[in-house]
Amino acid sequence: MNCGFEWFFKRICFKLLGFFFECLKKREMAGSNEVNFNECKMVVPLNTWVLISNFKLAYNLLRRPDGTFNRHLAEFLDRKVPANANPVDGVFSFDVLIDRGTSLLSRIYRPATTEEPRPNIVELEKPVTGEVVPVIIFFHGGSFAHSSANSAIYDTLCRRLVGICKAVVVSVNYRRAPENRYPCAYDDGWTALKWVNSRTWLQSQKDSKVHIYLAGDSSGGNIVHHVAARAVESGIDVLGNILLNPMFGGQERTESEKRLDGKYFVTLRDRDWYWRAFLPEGENRDHPACNPFGPNGRSLEGIKFPKSLVVVAGLDLVQDWQLAYVEGLKKAGQEVTHLYMEQATIGFYLLPNNNHFHTVMGEISKFVSFNC
Amino acid sequence: MELYDSATSAWSSSGSSSSSSSKPPPQHQQDIDGLLAEAGYKIRSSDLRQVAQRLERLEIAMVNSPADFSQLASDAIYYNPSDLASWVDSLLSEFTQPATCPSEFIMDPVTNQTVVNNVWTTDEPHTPQVHQNISYEQQSLNHQLTVVTAMEENSGIRLVHMLMTCAECVQRGDLSLASSLIDDMQMLLTRVNTVCGIGKVAGHFIDALSHRIFQGIGVGSINGGSVYENEILYHHFYEACPYLKFAHFTANQAILEALEGHDCVHVVDFNLMHGLQWPALIQALALRPSGPPLLRLTGIGQPSPDGRDSLREIGLRLAELARSVNVRFTFRGVAASRLEDIKPWMLQVNPEEAVAVNSIMQLHRLLGSDSTRNCPIETVLSWIRSLNPKIMTVVEQEANHNQPGYLDRFTEALYYYSTLFDSLEACTVQPEKALAEIYIQREIANVVSCEGSARVERHEPLAKWRTRLSGAGFRALHLGSNAFKQASMLLTLFSAEGYSVEENEGCLSLGWHSRPLIAASAWQVMPDPAAEFLAWDNHQSFS
Repeated sequence: MNCGFEWFFKRICFKLLGFFFECLKKREMAGSNEVNFNECKMVVPLNTWVLISNFKLAYNLLRRPDGTFNRHLAEFLDRKVPANANPVDGVFSFDVLIDRGTSLLSRIYRPATTEEPRPNIVELEKPVTGEVVPVIIFFHGGSFAHSSANSAIYDTLCRRLVGICKAVVVSVNYRRAPENRYPCAYDDGWTALKWVNSRTWLQSQKDSKVHIYLAGDSSGGNIVHHVAARAVESGIDVLGNILLNPMFGGQERTESEKRLDGKYFVTLRDRDWYWRAFLPEGENRDHPACNPFGPNGRSLEGIKFPKSLVVVAGLDLVQDWQLAYVEGLKKAGQEVTHLYMEQATIGFYLLPNNNHFHTVMGEISKFVSFNC
Repeated sequence: MELYDSATSAWSSSGSSSSSSSKPPPQHQQDIDGLLAEAGYKIRSSDLRQVAQRLERLEIAMVNSPADFSQLASDAIYYNPSDLASWVDSLLSEFTQPATCPSEFIMDPVTNQTVVNNVWTTDEPHTPQVHQNISYEQQSLNHQLTVVTAMEENSGIRLVHMLMTCAECVQRGDLSLASSLIDDMQMLLTRVNTVCGIGKVAGHFIDALSHRIFQGIGVGSINGGSVYENEILYHHFYEACPYLKFAHFTANQAILEALEGHDCVHVVDFNLMHGLQWPALIQALALRPSGPPLLRLTGIGQPSPDGRDSLREIGLRLAELARSVNVRFTFRGVAASRLEDIKPWMLQVNPEEAVAVNSIMQLHRLLGSDSTRNCPIETVLSWIRSLNPKIMTVVEQEANHNQPGYLDRFTEALYYYSTLFDSLEACTVQPEKALAEIYIQREIANVVSCEGSARVERHEPLAKWRTRLSGAGFRALHLGSNAFKQASMLLTLFSAEGYSVEENEGCLSLGWHSRPLIAASAWQVMPDPAAEFLAWDNHQSFS
């Protein structure tokens, strides 16, 4: 791997020639890539563009063509933050090992009370005070392969959710692909759900029950669906599902996939890579994990599935699958609120610098506070 | 939000730069984009446009030659991903220009999962694919290496002579001649095998000299690197060759013996890093026939700039280990940029406990003297004495890199580091070897291109330390045969022929081909004659 100056120099020189020829060729072909940048830059603020482009770049470095993942580099590059039991902007957090066997960690975010602005270690799991306290189990995104519960972007998002929903947020550090394929992430989600459900300190005073909502973005949204399905089968009450740009797919190439491929940070190729990394080997994208209402899926008709809030970004290339999901829920008679944010790209909810962010946060707050 | 202006490619800045904390940020930080800061990235709002343009260029490059891009991934070292501007720049410069210095080499930093100072270790195992790729490249390299021509040998010798001449010019202050020598040497490097041997070491020395000549005496700038990176490099140096393992084993053996019979022991580690030394000691204490003592460990380390409490994280891991072997254990981290900033009260030593002070390659950093105050080494040695430790273990590079004359220092360093690199050739594990080389390269850079307070690698040979420590009121404790046996056994684990342990007046050294490179010694406080009367009264033992 390490190499002398001379060897490296020669190798780069040779490749550079190839690179320049390719570049010339592509410019002749009416440089379609430049058009993509123009479209992309027009719809997001500059700092958002830099953030998401940086992720895109870094993620390209991590995915190997043979389906393996450069986990060490991923962990090195991922910006992480520690938990903080001292309240910052009214929210404090701490990490809990939920399952020793799988090293399943979760980060719990709680609102700081005015009486004890500085909780000490004994009081981290002090019972929640409140007639009704929503507990949101959050599954971070990352296409099943990237990010962690302690990634800075998700720590920030969870903190915002605490404030916006006046909720306790439990962010689950589920096992990731490709090292851990289906159904590990769902199993971890299920373990977390059982754990949350059994915490007496999370019970609302009104009915001594834990008021659970499941929320997630991208792959986290996908996990929400599957964990909710399992909850229903096992009799644990989930009050609502929140899916932000959920990651669904299918074998067929939909119109939105073809139209938006490569235009707004995401390509079909990378989507395919992540599914190959998550699904069991040999399975295609019509596997029910990926396509829950597809040919191998199962209808939820007659099942008491939680109400769902599904947010779809209009510039997300997989929106056709997300819309199919919404249709699938409706057809099965399930309650679903569908929010279509026309000019939103992936990741719009990471920075509070756009209208979509504020709209969606408002809807989430309503969704969680409205008790039927 | 304002839109892209296609005519001028200008972005208008948009989005709020709100800060997450309720206080307004200090003046110089107000330009940092607050939202990106919350996402873990430090970038000035005024730089956003430029960074965006560079990201675009990188993307075009990536689309046009994906093979190179994946090469970049497997071959690259990334420094400080939080600093978005420089991270993007380094990728761009690597991708679009040939590397001209080995210091621009980039490599995949693999972290050893068992001791990563992070509770959030991933459970995902190493992917074997990475190592397969590496060994394939290593094989083709080895094939290339076996051809050493006479011309290359001559060139190697010429290179050494030119290096010495250049160093002499630097000493004389003749920087113009020195810089033309740099050019010549770089030309010569192209004719020398730089994958191993003198060519590789020469490359590093040329870099360091070049830095000194063209950028002036560094304030540690050539070293750069965050605390986190340094720890990673140190860890790989630990893995790639036996020097640090030898240091730890030998020190632990001495500490064990010195603390025998004591029920409350307190170990002060002058440089905790990943705490690699301590699991073995904890386990040895657990197996003590008289039962384990209550063990306190105080770990001194660099403060982490990004708020991670790495000392505490290491402490937690060690505590878990101690718990698993039923050793009562408490840990305390003391963060300090420099050892001389530590005051003894920070270590909270109890009079009842038996103290062991452990310094692995730290004392030499105190040898730079600031003319306005005491030599830091004297201050530190004096408060170490005041702790009344049962033992002080000292491990230092066995080298004379603190001579006042530049040429002497340079020459000594050239021979020392050539030997060190030579011993590293025996290591075949990647990327441990590559990162260990970067670790050593940074030392070289400090010795050769820094001065004053920036030059911290002020290695002195054991003979000098003996004089210095004796003068400061310490006397040598002979390292027993136990320690010698440990060290020799350690060497048998390394199949490389060429390492040798030597015993010298109670001190042990580990060397390569009979050149000692690292020396371990143990010391105790010399009884103060005046205090001896008091000592008898208090039944303290000085044996």
